Amino acid sequence: MNIPKLVLKNITRRKARFFFTLLGITVGIASFVTLLSLGGGLKNEIKKQASELGANLIVTPKGWCAYEQVSVLTGEQLPEAIPFDDARKISAIKGLTAVPYLTERTAIKNSPLPVIGILPEEMKIFKRWEIEKGDYFSSQDENAIVIGSGIAQQFKLNVLDKLTIKGRQFPVRGILKGTGSKDDIAMFMSLSVAQKLYGVGDKVSFVAVKVDDISKMDEYILKIQEAANVAVVSDKQLLRSVLSIVGTVSLTLQLIAAVAILAAAFGIINTMMTAIYERRREIGILQAIGAREITIFKIFLLESGFYGLLGGVIGIVAGLIFSSIASPYISQNEFTAFMKGSEMAVTFDSKLIIGSLLFSVFVSLISGLYPAWKASRLSPVEAISYE
Amino acid sequence: MSDIIIKTENLVKTYNTGKVRTYALRGISLEIARNSFSCIIGPSGHGKSTLMHLMGGLDGPTEGSVFIDGADISGLSNSELAGLRAKKIGFVFQFFNLLQNLTAKENVETAMMFSGVNEKTQKEKAKGLLSLLGLSEKLNAKPSELSGGQQQRVAIARALANDPEILLMDEPTGNLDSESEAEVLDNILKLNKDGKTIIIVTHNRDIAKMAAMVFEIRDGRLVDDGKTK
Repeated sequence: MNIPKLVLKNITRRKARFFFTLLGITVGIASFVTLLSLGGGLKNEIKKQASELGANLIVTPKGWCAYEQVSVLTGEQLPEAIPFDDARKISAIKGLTAVPYLTERTAIKNSPLPVIGILPEEMKIFKRWEIEKGDYFSSQDENAIVIGSGIAQQFKLNVLDKLTIKGRQFPVRGILKGTGSKDDIAMFMSLSVAQKLYGVGDKVSFVAVKVDDISKMDEYILKIQEAANVAVVSDKQLLRSVLSIVGTVSLTLQLIAAVAILAAAFGIINTMMTAIYERRREIGILQAIGAREITIFKIFLLESGFYGLLGGVIGIVAGLIFSSIASPYISQNEFTAFMKGSEMAVTFDSKLIIGSLLFSVFVSLISGLYPAWKASRLSPVEAISYE
Repeated sequence: MSDIIIKTENLVKTYNTGKVRTYALRGISLEIARNSFSCIIGPSGHGKSTLMHLMGGLDGPTEGSVFIDGADISGLSNSELAGLRAKKIGFVFQFFNLLQNLTAKENVETAMMFSGVNEKTQKEKAKGLLSLLGLSEKLNAKPSELSGGQQQRVAIARALANDPEILLMDEPTGNLDSESEAEVLDNILKLNKDGKTIIIVTHNRDIAKMAAMVFEIRDGRLVDDGKTK
């Protein structure tokens, strides 16, 4: 006989209680892991999108809020507020390449999709796009669209198919080769056509800028602001700002999961306290045959910790499975719509797994402290005499 | 080594129930000889079991002292008392007090686990003790699968697991039929012959007749000091 074997025999004798207590901690940890894993996946995806934006600076209208900055990465519809002339002035600055974006929305079969007005030639060079099928725009104001590979796959679209946007039909000129970014789930048309179609005059939503010398970033920002009445944010600032929003959302969700774990912890305390009252006589017997206070404490603490270990393992597996299943549904949310095209929207990193397991065991051990202490403090005579 | 293995000096034990103080023991002084077979008799509720608990270090006296092998155990910490119980004293109770979720063998092994015996030795010794007490066929039986007599023999095997010098037994046959009682008493007498100091708490005068020393307690006082037999 050894203590772990004794603990295992004790813990499994009341099978229903064991199951439900275990279920409590399992659900808590599973929800924690799901949210952490999805949050981690979201952050990774945002970083990926930011790097694939291909820009060092984003020129936005003054006074944009954080949500609008996030939308630069997510491809949401944005207010059109920068006059095209300002975009031209920015493009004229030496040492940088600037491409304007007009970000609008349409829908195919009731699925909302971004329509992006671009300067076709400039954008192709800027993004290093390659064509998978068909051709690219033949002129800067052609009445046609080029679509991402994700859309072509999802809606089974092919070259020369026609799509109706705002009541007008546009032929699919070409399909872009997959990039793994939000470009895969967007439709592109020439800027002038998009401006007319959406009636926004000569306005664009924002301008993406790539600089030749990254060490002179501050200098470029000043030059851009001298050229036009706009705000300039670096890709790093943008990323920081987006990640901070995502972080806040993730933290809130994790706090909700933490409440579930806290409830499970009280479940463990309750189970252990009940076990002590039920097994009072048994504790007395153990004391009579030589168990020291510390040994009794250890036995009950290990019983409690075992819930955390087993519940943690099952919860982590369940959480990872659930996050994989939930990820495609969650990506239908507007905020996370850009994740649709990505291969992996969840993170399965070892830090998350080990951290969650340690957290589960830690919470269970903390929950077991008081019951274990109570058990160890029982008087042997009172315990043995307990009927 | 002294011939006296247990000595109590003016033992007093009181319990407070609200503002009322109840005396369980009122100044008990006695000596138990090494390798002897002693009985503590008296009516129920007069302090026999309390005296046994104090002699076995399961409880502390309100006043007075308990000496085991000449050492005063009254001032020992709970942990030190547990160590003493593990090494020197074996307990057998009226209701067997076996751990219900463990097999007969595991019950015996558990006692050895607390005194740090390795698992291999635990297994061998538990098997040997249970076989010695006629339970070689019941090693893996749970207490609920054993008769009262068999359960009490498992309890005796558990009490002997750490080879203690002293066996303290509280009504060991009180819950057995006459056939099982005879078996258990036979085992107890054999243990005494093998050199164990046996102290039985009972109100059964037939068992007391088998003992070398009999202490009678009434109202927490010793009315027969064992020397008069």
